Amino acid sequence: MALKLKTKLLAGFMLLVSLLIVAGSVSILEFMKLSTSFTTILENNYKSIEASKTMLEALEREDSGILLLLLGEWEEGRKILHESDKVFMEAFTVAKKNITEANEDELIADIQRKYLHYKEKWARPIVDTFKEGNIDWYQSNAHQEFIQLKTSINQLMSINQESLYEKATLLKDNGHRAVMPSIISIIGAILFSLLLNFYLNQQFIFPLKKLIKAVKSLNQGDFQVQSSNKNKDEIFQLELEINQMLKRIARKNDSR
Amino acid sequence: MRLEVIFKILGVVLLFNAAFLFIALVIAYSNQESSLIPLLFTTLTCIIFGLFPMVFSGKHEALSFAEGITVVVSGWVITCVIGMLPYLMWGGEFNLIDAWFESVSGYTTTGSTILNDIEALPKSLLFWRSATHWIGGVGIIIFVLLILPHARNARITLLNTEMSELSKSNFHYKARTTIQILIVVYVGLTLVETLLLRLAGMNWFDAINHAFATIATGGFSTKNSSIAYFENVWIEVIIMVFMLLSGIHFGLIFGTITGSRYNIFRSKVVRSYVVIMFLGIMLVALKLVINDFYSWSESLRFASFQVISVGTTTGFATVDTAIWPVFTQMVIIYFTIQCAMAGSTSGGLKFDRVYLFIKSVKKQIQLIKHPAGVFAIKMENKTISDSLERQTMLFVVLYVFTFFITTLLLTTMDIDLTTAFSASIATLGNVGPGFGNVSSLGNFDGLPNLAKFILSLNMLLGRLEIYSVIALFTIRK
Repeated sequence: MALKLKTKLLAGFMLLVSLLIVAGSVSILEFMKLSTSFTTILENNYKSIEASKTMLEALEREDSGILLLLLGEWEEGRKILHESDKVFMEAFTVAKKNITEANEDELIADIQRKYLHYKEKWARPIVDTFKEGNIDWYQSNAHQEFIQLKTSINQLMSINQESLYEKATLLKDNGHRAVMPSIISIIGAILFSLLLNFYLNQQFIFPLKKLIKAVKSLNQGDFQVQSSNKNKDEIFQLELEINQMLKRIARKNDSR
Repeated sequence: MRLEVIFKILGVVLLFNAAFLFIALVIAYSNQESSLIPLLFTTLTCIIFGLFPMVFSGKHEALSFAEGITVVVSGWVITCVIGMLPYLMWGGEFNLIDAWFESVSGYTTTGSTILNDIEALPKSLLFWRSATHWIGGVGIIIFVLLILPHARNARITLLNTEMSELSKSNFHYKARTTIQILIVVYVGLTLVETLLLRLAGMNWFDAINHAFATIATGGFSTKNSSIAYFENVWIEVIIMVFMLLSGIHFGLIFGTITGSRYNIFRSKVVRSYVVIMFLGIMLVALKLVINDFYSWSESLRFASFQVISVGTTTGFATVDTAIWPVFTQMVIIYFTIQCAMAGSTSGGLKFDRVYLFIKSVKKQIQLIKHPAGVFAIKMENKTISDSLERQTMLFVVLYVFTFFITTLLLTTMDIDLTTAFSASIATLGNVGPGFGNVSSLGNFDGLPNLAKFILSLNMLLGRLEIYSVIALFTIRK
């Protein structure tokens, strides 16, 4: 391959540049994926988990409200129930708008149905009815509905937690895959530079040093530059030109 | 030493790897696998580093012995480094040491793995694992020699360094023809086995991967439970036949196909190799029956598969031999030490050296009886030179010394003796599975990182036949 020095240099640098471009593109691509995965986790699962927690908390407070009504504390009980209902419905709306996992829609519908049943239990009057102080009514009605609803909300939280764990594992792998090309390309670029340095020395510096030595030896009357360059590149051409020039000078000297 | 010449040939080595990486890349792309980016990046790295020396280097004819040794040893090391990149970049169970171990194990056709869940790997990486076996089986340098243009003298030097004296003994051709024969037999056996495995019920993907691993006497499977997964006698029989063939000198296989007088049936070494293998199978099967492990037929089936698998340095498994009686384990360890024939794809000590060693011992005994006598050792009707005999004896000593040192080093890390001993011998012999914690259906994951690194060096020493490595480090002195 009789490539010119310019072409060789250009080709060498082009290869180095292409390695860096590929590594850079791969890393950017993987980091973009990583950022999307973060957003997905936050938007899809974390929101639903937080909503489930809020629903559970509101539900616990509603249970306390029912117990207060059973004790005849009408005003206190009603206040807690209405506030908790508002909180529950807000959290439920968040969860309903954020259906991302398989079977999540069925669970949401189930929670909605069960909550309406549960709400019916405390929406009707309790104070001053047979229900007041009736612990048996609480056990067989309100508490049963409460437990079933809690189980469904826990299920909703659980599928989102599992999905979050899976995505986090994937995120770890994606992170690894985003960083690795950069690390390897840095090592590759260092090796490449060493290799390039070797070839620059071999193809430019050594032939030039030899040429300088040969030109210096002209002072000792040696009118021929011995070529040591096997490649037909610019340095080889320079050697040829110097030899031609020396021949012309020698001829002129002879004619005088 | 002309580094530019060495770099140029190493560039061809990288480009050859890039061809197989590209196939893995196509698999990853068509299945939209997570290994796409790691494979793409490794392929491009290979191409860039492979092409670069070609830009600067001109034509080079001859190679000196020192240059030849450097090309062979560094070619293997660079190949192993490139081979680990897809694993390392993909992640999963692979860290730096594990990726290196898996890569070295693949190229040296050892077949030991660190993976607990092989089936979790994407198809493209499973293919790459098997491809490393196939590239390393006949020797990456042999492939390079076939495609290296204008390099007759370089070819002879490299062939002499890549193949031992014994390996070349049954090739009666010039360097280029020898290489062509090796490749033709290698590719031919792979194609036939792939087809037969497909007919026996494997899908194309598994058939190709298992054919790669069998003909290269590697042992990587695409399944966690290796060949036991298929529960198919025909698949086991096909793999056994091809393991046995891959353990025989390729020159003799070629001679048998072409009707030459240098063939399998006339070779005394092949006869002895097969007879000893048969005896091993019978001993193991008998012990399994006596100890009420299996019925006669099952004992024969499992014993023949395991003995052939280990005796040819392949390392596939149909059963966990770690639970077998100690006697059967000792027989299998003997085959781990003996290995298969020179001139095949198997690594380790080689049966020919064991054969020559025994003959040499007989000669020494005769010399004690008759000190003035002249005794010659003959193998395949050819007189073995004193230098080859000495080389072989020295190799046996070096081999035993290496595996003793490795065992010693492993025991310093509190690894139990069975595991340390069998892991050392199994990696040096490029067999794959050992006993204890690294048994046929186990893996090397539980070993400390330093132990994995030492064992990976052992694999390289076994594949490069120790001498090349010693020569590389002593050549300037």
